Amino acid sequence: MDVNLINPILVAFADILPQIGFEKVEKKNISLVGSTFNYDGVLINLAVVGSIKGVIMIGMDLDSAKRFASKMMMGMEVADFDALAQSAVSEMGNMVCANACTQFAKIGINGLDISPPTIMIGQGGQATLPVPQTIVIHFSVDGIEVKVYVGLV
Amino acid sequence: MSIKVMVVDDSPFSRMMIGEALSEGGYEVVGEADSLDSLIETYNNCKPDVVTMDIAMPGADGFECSRELRLNDPKAKIILVSSMKDEESEAEAKRIGVSGYVQKPVDGETLIKVIKNVMSPDSLFEQLMERGLETFKEALAQNVTRMAKTPVTFTTIENCDTPYMSQGITTVIGIIGQSSGSMIMDLSAESAEKIAEGILRRPPKNREEVLAMVAELANIIAGIACSMLNKKDKAFALRVSPPSLFHGNDAEIVSPSVKIQKSLAQTEFGSIFLGVGFKKGSMLWM
Repeated sequence: MDVNLINPILVAFADILPQIGFEKVEKKNISLVGSTFNYDGVLINLAVVGSIKGVIMIGMDLDSAKRFASKMMMGMEVADFDALAQSAVSEMGNMVCANACTQFAKIGINGLDISPPTIMIGQGGQATLPVPQTIVIHFSVDGIEVKVYVGLV
Repeated sequence: MSIKVMVVDDSPFSRMMIGEALSEGGYEVVGEADSLDSLIETYNNCKPDVVTMDIAMPGADGFECSRELRLNDPKAKIILVSSMKDEESEAEAKRIGVSGYVQKPVDGETLIKVIKNVMSPDSLFEQLMERGLETFKEALAQNVTRMAKTPVTFTTIENCDTPYMSQGITTVIGIIGQSSGSMIMDLSAESAEKIAEGILRRPPKNREEVLAMVAELANIIAGIACSMLNKKDKAFALRVSPPSLFHGNDAEIVSPSVKIQKSLAQTEFGSIFLGVGFKKGSMLWM
């Protein structure tokens, strides 16, 4: 996978999150994993179709996902990761990936489309992406740990 | 009251051909323009419901004209009608907010269908909601029967709003098109192993082989179902993403922005959950 493909996603993440109530978006590090990785908590799946295709996933542990949703809902208490909280984080995934498509167009990768988000919620699960290698971008967003998995070819 | 159409094209011959196709379809051509010069004035005077727009014109091209038109009236419904139709021009059209795209030479029936869909975009979505799950069920039944040599029957899942818990292996395939959506296929590891054995005619060598079979089966079902739907109406313009697999636990699966229609396929190897959902779109490409 071409590592340059992550730049539009980094830009999109840094662009969108301040618009939805976050102040400090820090990229911690980037790692490379195979097509299969473990996840705990919440994993938002968004498929990408076009001249490049694959998937972008956004993962958080359950507590982080609740804090993230709470922040998006202007500090409203989120005791359970319920339908409203699910909708909030899924909308964030949608906005980040739609913005990433715009960023891709700026570097000449046009015509990308994204699918609606599907969320997996569970502990000790594994995800297998349709690519040989996945790039994982580790972010800290107002102290909340968020992982973005990029599997595009 | 008939739908009012304005035709923008620098070629008098094309304007005549498009005009005739529209008249035959019962539509009224209320205005014509051959360039940006007369475009806005004519549009404001004749107040059409839809504008057909050529791309290659001397001076300002169809994209520039569309941009100007949308600045003048952000609700303007524009259908590009051009011999040019590639990835770049489609992307540009999407950025501008064009509603539809028909390739020249214009087939009257196609143009009428696109105009109808542009005027009532919900009807295409409703057709998809009506036919979507049944088509995916047909594709699943055909291919599981063909590949694993087992008959398939379906049972309805009554409570559609209850969150669905994975049986073990979940495949999610994104669907892109006039309406975007998702297909979710879920089955237990035991059922997957038995189906893999049915297909391979030998026990699967390892878990990876089972997972690869599940991903490929889902890929085939989604691809065939979308092709079947596109054959019924190519305005659906559905395409599928490669599959994502989730496994190893009993995760809850939710699609907050899409209402997933669900069904349970019963086979001698166990049950296969099938969920299909779409959300409304507004782009019509032919």
